Amino acid sequence: MVHILGINLPDNQLARFALTSIYGVGPHLSHRLCARFQIHDKCRVKDLTPLQTTSLASFLQSPKTALPLPQYPLAPVNFVARPPSKSIQELQAEFNAARTAQKQKREEKLLQLGQSPAEDAKGKTTTTRGRKALEKKSRDPLTELRIESELRREIRENIAHQRMIGSYVGRRHAMHLPVRGQRTQTNAKTARKLNNLDRW
Amino acid sequence: MALSLSRVPFHRSLPQGTLICVRTYANSPPGQQSPFRIQNVKNTGTSKNKKAFSRKNRIGAFRSMTPSSLTVPVLQPSPNSSLSSVPSFKPELMTENMIGQVVAFSQTPNDPIKYFGTPKNMLLEFRLLSKRCSVIRNITVFTAEELDSAAAEPSHKTRYVLTGPSGCGKSFLLLQSVQYCLAKGWIVIYIPRAKTTVNSTTTHTYDLRTQTYLQPNYAQQTLRRILEVNSANLETLTLREGLNYDRRSFSSGTTLAQLASAGSKDAVISSVVLETLLNELSRQSKIPVLLAVDDFQAIYNQKTAYRDPHFSAIRPYHLAIPRFILEFASGKRSFPKGAILGALTAMDPAFPVTNELIDELNLPGLHPRSPYSKRSKILQEYARGLMNLPVPEEFSPREAASVFETWMRDNALSAPGNDELFLAKYTESAGNPKAFVWQGILGTLEGAAPVVNQNTPWPQLREGRIVVQ
Repeated sequence: MVHILGINLPDNQLARFALTSIYGVGPHLSHRLCARFQIHDKCRVKDLTPLQTTSLASFLQSPKTALPLPQYPLAPVNFVARPPSKSIQELQAEFNAARTAQKQKREEKLLQLGQSPAEDAKGKTTTTRGRKALEKKSRDPLTELRIESELRREIRENIAHQRMIGSYVGRRHAMHLPVRGQRTQTNAKTARKLNNLDRW
Repeated sequence: MALSLSRVPFHRSLPQGTLICVRTYANSPPGQQSPFRIQNVKNTGTSKNKKAFSRKNRIGAFRSMTPSSLTVPVLQPSPNSSLSSVPSFKPELMTENMIGQVVAFSQTPNDPIKYFGTPKNMLLEFRLLSKRCSVIRNITVFTAEELDSAAAEPSHKTRYVLTGPSGCGKSFLLLQSVQYCLAKGWIVIYIPRAKTTVNSTTTHTYDLRTQTYLQPNYAQQTLRRILEVNSANLETLTLREGLNYDRRSFSSGTTLAQLASAGSKDAVISSVVLETLLNELSRQSKIPVLLAVDDFQAIYNQKTAYRDPHFSAIRPYHLAIPRFILEFASGKRSFPKGAILGALTAMDPAFPVTNELIDELNLPGLHPRSPYSKRSKILQEYARGLMNLPVPEEFSPREAASVFETWMRDNALSAPGNDELFLAKYTESAGNPKAFVWQGILGTLEGAAPVVNQNTPWPQLREGRIVVQ
């Protein structure tokens, strides 16, 4: 039995399916999480390595503080690998050194062109035609991942905000009635049961 | 009696975790008992309710029992077994005058069917027959001759892909080639289901040294299988240079069998061991090597089911096992003596035959293609030089007759096995081998076709009756 964020994941379940039992993680996010930690589609929870389990748990504890993923190189067609006697630590050190050298070179080039590297990091740059490019939004949903208590808090805050501004949506939540325009002459049973200001 | 749904009072505040499901189907007349019982089913959050169709409770179909559990006398193999006269597969039988003869794959200690496995359809067929049989066709004899001439030449000169419509016998021909080469003393590497390397069913880890995603568990299994089938040949070959990896060292002079054995026991070093084994086999010119891959088109699909950490699809040439198959298939790596054989799977919607293969092998594609259709330059390079070996799409009458007789002797026919039935089944299946066996011969299990009584005066009232003979 693997425990992640206090949730028990059954051993025989597929890891990709088991992660959906976390509140806020659905099938797509679960697929993305598995891809990030190199868990294949048919991996059962009992087949997860300790490293994968700990890195999953530490990532889900605080997704915002996770380190950005580096882009590792992929072998071109006629690539010849180094002999296996070279240790992985040496290769990693070489790779990191090459990466920092590349980054420095890019920053120097930007300085030469008259732009500061900090601006470029935010993504707000001016193109050659002088128009400002829009701030690039990250396409990776894992960077803005919200689960469990954080997500519940967000939902609570949204409902409280609607009530505070005195909107129709807020009033309906307060009255335990359907919010999205459903009929109330019949069939509002779920809304009467669940709709609340302090829902979570 | 009119059917009406009655209203049931619903409790508003329920304790968390309970679900009450209440149904009524019809109101019974007053004074009588309700014909349908009102059911109250309560499921708590932690239910121990066994689902009727859960995997544990299901009994699988067509799983053969182990020979030791067949204690009843009727199930014991009789000494005069119906297929005992079928000759065993031998390389000497690959001659013109043996075309149309059914041969059986005998159970040897290094049986490739047992260790490497077979494609699923073939596995089911072998379970049904008493012996694992196949028929020698003219294409089998041709392939055997090609392999004989390939035994003295580098593998990049003999790279065939078996093509043909669905069910024409490509996988069977590949298996026959594997058995032929093994019997002739080759080293054989047979991958019966190459799609398992690309459909995200085995572990994958990025390796900075090779800049690809290694598949350690699959490499471990492959090493074990290669060792079991080719142990005698691998004992005679040795490492030329020593290997040091992960605190393990193999000195030069270690036999390839010892190396493979070490790799098959430890998944951590298995990928490196497999790479070293293939490098050594690519340098030795003593023993020819056959690399036979079924589901060949699966590794030529641009996107595999694997995803990298940034969620983009991993390409097949960035996965370790498909990459080595692609390199040997394209001729970038070569065995000094040997051949590469691939067999396409015509009807697999998840892994269709791609434009690059269709162009190189001059196949009639399913969809119209133009110079503007999408093609990957890298996969085109990996497909360059592949030769098409078309498998005839129908049995000759002689081959079909041998197959029919074999199944008849094994008591697979539920109808009387006469010429009429044979010709009927041969015509219905248009000679297609798979259709002939599965829909034709095994279709007789449904029983004889109904016979229509021609004597009734009105044609529209004629009924077909099954006449038991």
